[in-house]
Amino acid sequence: MSEILSIENLVKDYGKIKAVNKLSMEVEEGSVYGLLGPNGSGKTTTLGIILDVIKKTSGKYNWFGSTSSSESRKKIGAILEVPAFYPHLSARRNLRIITKIKGKGADSIDEVLKLVNLHDRKDDPFRTFSLGMKQRLAIGAALISNPPVLILDEPTNGLDPQGIAEIRKLILQVAGQGKTILLASHLLDEVQKVCTHFIVLNKGRGIYSGLVDEVLNTSNTIEIASKDLQKLSKAVKEFSHLNSLEEEKDLLAIQLNNSVDTHALNTFLIEKGIVLTHLAIRKSSLEQKFLKILEESDDQTV
Amino acid sequence: MIRLFEIEWLKLKNYKVFWALIITYFLGLILVLSSGMFLMQFFKYKGAEFKGIDPTIIPLYDFPDVWQNMTYIATFFKIILAFIVIISVTNEIGYRTMRQNVIEGLSKWEFLLSKLSLVFMLSFAATVFLFFEGLITGLIYSTVKDLRSIFSELEFLAGYFLEVFTFLSFALLIGILLKRAGFAIVLIFMYTLIFEPFLTINLEHNPHIYESLKSISPYLPIRSLNNLISVPFQRYVFMEIQDFIAWKDVFIVLGWLIIYQFSIYKLLDKRDI
Ligand SMILES: Nc1ncnc2c1ncn2[C@@H]1O[C@H](COP(=O)(O)OP(=O)(O)OP(=O)(O)O)[C@@H](O)[C@H]1O
Ligand SMILES: [Mg+2]
Repeated sequence: MSEILSIENLVKDYGKIKAVNKLSMEVEEGSVYGLLGPNGSGKTTTLGIILDVIKKTSGKYNWFGSTSSSESRKKIGAILEVPAFYPHLSARRNLRIITKIKGKGADSIDEVLKLVNLHDRKDDPFRTFSLGMKQRLAIGAALISNPPVLILDEPTNGLDPQGIAEIRKLILQVAGQGKTILLASHLLDEVQKVCTHFIVLNKGRGIYSGLVDEVLNTSNTIEIASKDLQKLSKAVKEFSHLNSLEEEKDLLAIQLNNSVDTHALNTFLIEKGIVLTHLAIRKSSLEQKFLKILEESDDQTV
Repeated sequence: MIRLFEIEWLKLKNYKVFWALIITYFLGLILVLSSGMFLMQFFKYKGAEFKGIDPTIIPLYDFPDVWQNMTYIATFFKIILAFIVIISVTNEIGYRTMRQNVIEGLSKWEFLLSKLSLVFMLSFAATVFLFFEGLITGLIYSTVKDLRSIFSELEFLAGYFLEVFTFLSFALLIGILLKRAGFAIVLIFMYTLIFEPFLTINLEHNPHIYESLKSISPYLPIRSLNNLISVPFQRYVFMEIQDFIAWKDVFIVLGWLIIYQFSIYKLLDKRDI
């Protein structure tokens, strides 16, 4: 797998604010890379720099192994923050301008408009679109002329649940074609479902990066429930391998010592005369991990 | 370059404001430039006389004088073309389409060239239009119609092109600098029609101004443009006029043109877009 994008010690200062602070990362071909971080952590600024519309203060970035140019940008489809189109022009004419800029023919326009469900509105001026429709057109614009790399900054912003699900499907489908995707989003659920890699930014710094799967498989929390939670709680506290116990709404979330599995626990409870109505290993979510990473990094900086 | 103009054309050809301004410009020019004779008749009817001359026999449209007369009048309309340039570029900034164009694969330099192609096309169209307008009205009214007279003093058309091209480059710079159409239009309007003319009048005629300061007035941005084509009409009251374009004025204007282009480039180059 070859490297599509590499960023090295990237810095962007806005006066005293360090919007991006010595950020380094690498994106491999075919990966779907999630860019996470709280508001103002530097996601959009980073994407703006690698798309050559924001000037870096220092550092380096390379696309496809060489310095960025208008030619390398033609191979990238991107949305940055808000959809940007000519309000008086129709969807089709707006897309036509893009294909002209990229030096491509107009043949993919109809196809893309169908893909983002705007085909029946293709001749309406952009300014008459709803927020979600504008966002769809932006995604369509990024997909036009079939670029090998996609950069999506908050692509599901303003979409309805159905729209979000469609975009998720679309991203998975596009990723399935071997495209490389860089996705900045606050919907961690989305990132978890579509991304292979992720990086967490905080105050412009990259504080964690890794594989999404690794995070999801590291859980050892077990959910249990029975008809009488009080009794269950009392019984389980007597289980010698118990590490921690937390009472949640309709269940108990417990953690056991590493060597012990659910079989031992269940056997123990049956001996105590308790029948479980629910027993499950909880997959840790990206969200939990994300919050934990941020908490730890804040502790360090204080 | 053709590709860049095509892109610009796609952006403009369905834009109503653009067509409204284009129509205002050309209709206004046709109306004013064609009605010289009626105007003179009107003056005569009202009993006006110019130093004992019957106004209707003033040969406004005689070749080759028609070229200087027309280009001189037409330069007053260039501000409408400047509005087109300003609106076109401030829209791109406001709608963030300039940024999106760069993301999609235009370089900042190409974006600038696409706007310059608009500036060029507007200046070129205005010049070609003036050529035909002058030719037609001249053929109708002129008492001399030999080819030599018709095609002499065409340098005024070249001067007109340079004047419009430079002024529109100035408008492009103001638009990119101020980013907002309303602001830029008010500023260029005030500066061109009020601020600099009054400054020039003061420089040239106010007795309290130092002699050494007076000499800068031909170098001011708008004054130097106006100097390219001098006022032609005193010739009809037997006064001396400058009936040619002076190289000195051309060089001053070219100097400004280079300054505008360079500033636009620098501004875009170092700005986050
Ligand atoms: N043009 C600017 N001038 C000054 N500061 C800026 C500018 N643009 C961004 N910043 C600052 O840079 C920091 C990073 O902003 P950025 O937009 O990259 O955040 P983000 O991670 O995309 O946030 P969000 O999740 O809200 O979109 C913020 O502190 C912001 O205030
Ligand atoms: Mg952002």
